[in-house]
Amino acid sequence: MIEASFSLLDHDGRRVGPETYRGRWMLVFFGFTHCKVVCPRNLAKLSAMLDGLGPAADDIVPLYITVDPERDTPERMRTWLGEHYPRFTGLTGTREEIDAARRAFRVFAQRRPETTPGDYDVPHTAIAYLLDRDGRFRDHFPETRSEAEIREGIAGLLASDAGHAGPPA
Amino acid sequence: MSNVAEAHRGAGTARPVPEPAALDDKQAGHLRRIVDLSERLPDDWSGMLGRSTMQEDFGALRFQLAYMAYALALTHLHRLPAAPALFRKPFDSLIQKILSIDVWMYWHYVSTGNVRLNKGELPARWDPVAEDNIMYSAYVQSMALMYHYLFDDPKYAGKGALSFKLQPLFWGSGDRIFAYDEKSLSQHLYWMMVEKGYLGIACEPNCVFQICNQPAILGFRLHDLVYGGDLAGEVTEGYRKAWAEFGIRSPDGHFNILALEREHALVQRPPAPWADFWLGALMHAWDPEGVEAAYRGQMDHWKREGPDGTLWIQPYVPSSNAEARSGNALDFGWAAVCASEVGDTDTLERLLAYADRFLTPTWEDGAYYYRRRDEPMLDGRPAAMDPHTGNCLLGYARLNVPGGLRKLYAGPLGADWFSRPAIVDISGRPDIRAARHDPDTDELRVVLRPGRGGREQVGLAVSNVWGKGRSWRLAADGETVARGDGDGVTDAGGRISVQREASNLAISLPLDGEVELRLAMQP
Repeated sequence: MIEASFSLLDHDGRRVGPETYRGRWMLVFFGFTHCKVVCPRNLAKLSAMLDGLGPAADDIVPLYITVDPERDTPERMRTWLGEHYPRFTGLTGTREEIDAARRAFRVFAQRRPETTPGDYDVPHTAIAYLLDRDGRFRDHFPETRSEAEIREGIAGLLASDAGHAGPPA
Repeated sequence: MSNVAEAHRGAGTARPVPEPAALDDKQAGHLRRIVDLSERLPDDWSGMLGRSTMQEDFGALRFQLAYMAYALALTHLHRLPAAPALFRKPFDSLIQKILSIDVWMYWHYVSTGNVRLNKGELPARWDPVAEDNIMYSAYVQSMALMYHYLFDDPKYAGKGALSFKLQPLFWGSGDRIFAYDEKSLSQHLYWMMVEKGYLGIACEPNCVFQICNQPAILGFRLHDLVYGGDLAGEVTEGYRKAWAEFGIRSPDGHFNILALEREHALVQRPPAPWADFWLGALMHAWDPEGVEAAYRGQMDHWKREGPDGTLWIQPYVPSSNAEARSGNALDFGWAAVCASEVGDTDTLERLLAYADRFLTPTWEDGAYYYRRRDEPMLDGRPAAMDPHTGNCLLGYARLNVPGGLRKLYAGPLGADWFSRPAIVDISGRPDIRAARHDPDTDELRVVLRPGRGGREQVGLAVSNVWGKGRSWRLAADGETVARGDGDGVTDAGGRISVQREASNLAISLPLDGEVELRLAMQP
């Protein structure tokens, strides 16, 4: 159902894909830094959820893939995330690269007309995707799931993986 | 407060609605018609074909099959809950029928697009559920999961259990089989719904109809009920947000019909009674307050006074030749279904009275339906009847109870549902007019009448009698005919044979008139 592939630039300008993070779990959320409601609400919830996981959260790489690459440069994402949601690493790319990632995760995003010059909304899917250490899709958590429910779901999956050697040194 | 208002209020609150004790003659006749059609040989669609033969119109085979299945579900759940044997096989047969290529091959040409709304011709597709076509795929999904939920039977959960097979005798280069099951199909539809931002999955390419996404939502809910999770909660919340931009309803109170996916634009169409009532009947499952808020104004807009207190519905005026070719009574049929669902019993009865007088009512060997008639108007009143309305919708309306679909959506089967005494096998062709187990008194009540088999020996197999360590008593028309305990029959005789057969209690009786059976577990 979910291919979970991408080839993008992280907010430090490095080319990354699922293989970059192999050996750790990935928590992937799509959005855009100009988002006024959905992204702040969900990134805050996911950040708090990760805080609540304690040390286990160290085994998870939180990734934030933009659906608005025209405005979300690596610099913009690094600054915005650093100020508000420092657990997350921002990923961006060309329009084609972003669209390919969207298709792989089956994410909806549709740019709306500008309300004022340069200002527009991009309604988008608000689902957090969990990928395992091999980059395979394992579960997803829609916006309707509470912080506690997401934490419980992820903790359960991490526990089932307890025998794994953990991230490479 | 009027009866209508009381009924209306009752449908929108948690106040329990008294359940009917038995089927009346017409209800039993409608049920017989649905069962008859389910028993047709494969690909024998006699009695189900309307004026349009290309499966494009709103009375196409897939709709008849699906809503007959929904009607069976509601009748079983609300009226004859202790008679699964009466419903399980017909329901399963309807699922088998909707998998027939006769039902879905239209997709090969419809998938090429509607030139007017798609702005171009697309490649033809074969797989009828892979992309778009929610006007078919959601019915397969919801029927399979409904079957699983109601009969606790995972038949369609197995790999490839829902396969769409193209197996021509001579044409082409071999078979094509598109294999799904109830879970994979539901997951597939779910992710398509996500990809579309919950606005909905298209029917014809690019055309997202509100109505046709409701069965998918019902299917997600049934998936939740069978497998756990909250797909339906997520999707309905997303759906509300996605449609908020356009409005589920227009400012004049009628439901908006469709939006274009690519243009992200509402298609402005004049309101239509079929659209108001079809959507209302289905959406009532998960948004009863919204539907009931719209319903009264919609009904007042579309209903017309008929002779002697009857009501008819102003037929939709077709806007194209294609629609004109599909002349039908769907406006009327969906109005009756919606009235039944929201609990507007006064309007429902007046509509059915019109149908019973003016719309080709037909009794056929114990089956009741409305025969197809193509003349649109007679004596200035609607006269057309199509197979979907005549076979299915008016029966659905008559068999439904207030809030029937809403109650199914709520998930009414408690943990003990499948451990209650119930009729799990029937021999002969009796009419079962009542079959309900009362968990408070632990009594199963069944009412039988001679059916198609006339005077005949009838057999019932009743489950969940043994192993409870309790004695029981079986009475026929108030007279004790057998007694037993948790292991077997201890006392029986006379003209009604009662014995243990494996895990069931087997009852065999000569049926030459109405008989009421009561199987009471002793405290």
